[in-house]
Amino acid sequence: MGNTYDLIIIGGGPAGLSAAIYGGRAKLKTLLINKGTIGGMADTTREIVNYPGYINVSGPELMSDFKKHAESFGAEFLKDEVVGTDFSQDMKKVTTKKKKEFFAKAVILAGGCQPRLLNIPGEKELRGSGVAYCATCDAEFFEGEDVVVVGSGDQAIEEGMFITKFARKLTVIVLHDEGILDCNKVSAEKAFQNEKMEFIWNSTIEEVLGEDNVERVRIKNLKTGSSSNLDCQGVFFFVGMIPATQFLKGSGIEMDSRGYIPVNDLMETNLSGIFAVGDNRVKYLRQVVSAAGDGATAAVAAERYIEELDAFQNNIANSDKKVLLVFFNATNTESLEFSAIMEELQQEYREDYKIVKVDMATKKNIAEKYEVKMLPTVIIFDKGEKIKELECSMDKANLKIQLI
Amino acid sequence: MLLPQLTSKAFEEKIYDNGEACLVIFSRKDCHVCKEVVPTVEELQPNYEGKFGFYYVDVEEDKPLYQSFSLKGVPQILFFKEGEYYGKLSGHVEEEQIEEKIEEIL
Repeated sequence: MGNTYDLIIIGGGPAGLSAAIYGGRAKLKTLLINKGTIGGMADTTREIVNYPGYINVSGPELMSDFKKHAESFGAEFLKDEVVGTDFSQDMKKVTTKKKKEFFAKAVILAGGCQPRLLNIPGEKELRGSGVAYCATCDAEFFEGEDVVVVGSGDQAIEEGMFITKFARKLTVIVLHDEGILDCNKVSAEKAFQNEKMEFIWNSTIEEVLGEDNVERVRIKNLKTGSSSNLDCQGVFFFVGMIPATQFLKGSGIEMDSRGYIPVNDLMETNLSGIFAVGDNRVKYLRQVVSAAGDGATAAVAAERYIEELDAFQNNIANSDKKVLLVFFNATNTESLEFSAIMEELQQEYREDYKIVKVDMATKKNIAEKYEVKMLPTVIIFDKGEKIKELECSMDKANLKIQLI
Repeated sequence: MLLPQLTSKAFEEKIYDNGEACLVIFSRKDCHVCKEVVPTVEELQPNYEGKFGFYYVDVEEDKPLYQSFSLKGVPQILFFKEGEYYGKLSGHVEEEQIEEKIEEIL
């Protein structure tokens, strides 16, 4: 079927593209669905100086290389937006805005993040009329004018310096005490030396004012509680990002209060076969290099998951005979002895039964699926359906009775 | 770019002289929001063939044009009918919002 894949990756930033490289190279039939431009947030970055192997590269350039790399391994790309999901079956379903449906054995969530809104009066109303979120896009429109930047992180300060190429004066509104910026030290030093940049400390913005265009902002000093107006023609908001995971509400995926998805070392979410990477997951460092690492990990974990799923399908679901699924662990002597007994028994009943042994140490997905916690455990399957669990004793006669 | 591009001169003709009911999207090449909104507009165009015009202006190539509308950012979709300005949509807009606005004008 044309709409069925091994792996679907939602999101085309560095995490998603890296997953596509690994997925494609592992010969998984891989589809990457991306709603905007390829490259995600990295694509909006003018200069990247900390991605290993590239001393100085623009975001779009680096992301275009990532994409070419993924394409060279056969990953498919689709420009559309995922709006719905159904992760309850073995074949996971995603539905797009253009009303298409796709199915895959595993899904990697790499949808990235979007700018956080302050939700203050005037912010929405004057968007595009002086309220802006992207310096590359809009700085030029403020030639010779007074501009305010809200925030003091890397993005706020670096984008702010870019805006000073056009603006007459730039005022940065900072939450912290005088001299403290959230951005890296190199940028902070440059900013303090920039003659066009001024700082208002211990403050935030309460309201953007203006009829048709931005005319001024209302600034609140957090220490004194007093408010004052500052005339300006533009306001750029750089007040952090939120994960773009809203479309997963109701999917059963666990998220924290901010919308980030907790995962383990394998990038596995609480749902089997669903992985979360990059800015969609709870993590310490949000950079291109760490996003790429996440993507690689998730794609390899997905590959193993799919292998197990396929093995189950071939050995158990499609078996003519009933299947004795024997769980063992090499470090558990009892379970090893027991599996030897089961093999002897199977020889006696080989007309009716085949045996499949599962090492709990490496094939944990099947064990989890059937909630196997104790060793030894034997589950009997008929045509892929679990029909009973053996009462495991070392007494062969007792076991025989259960098989007949 | 699938949409016909307007220069200042062509803009005068289409919008003011012919009075065509149309939209004009102002965008620039390196703006990532534009890269999301422009394709949305392009996809809508065939649905309104012959009824509603779709044009685009590159703000880097036609500075006087965006200055004359005192635009403060891209992308912006401006709507016109019979030579009159019928409002605009700014920033990241959804397909439905554009459709709604077109229906309003038609």
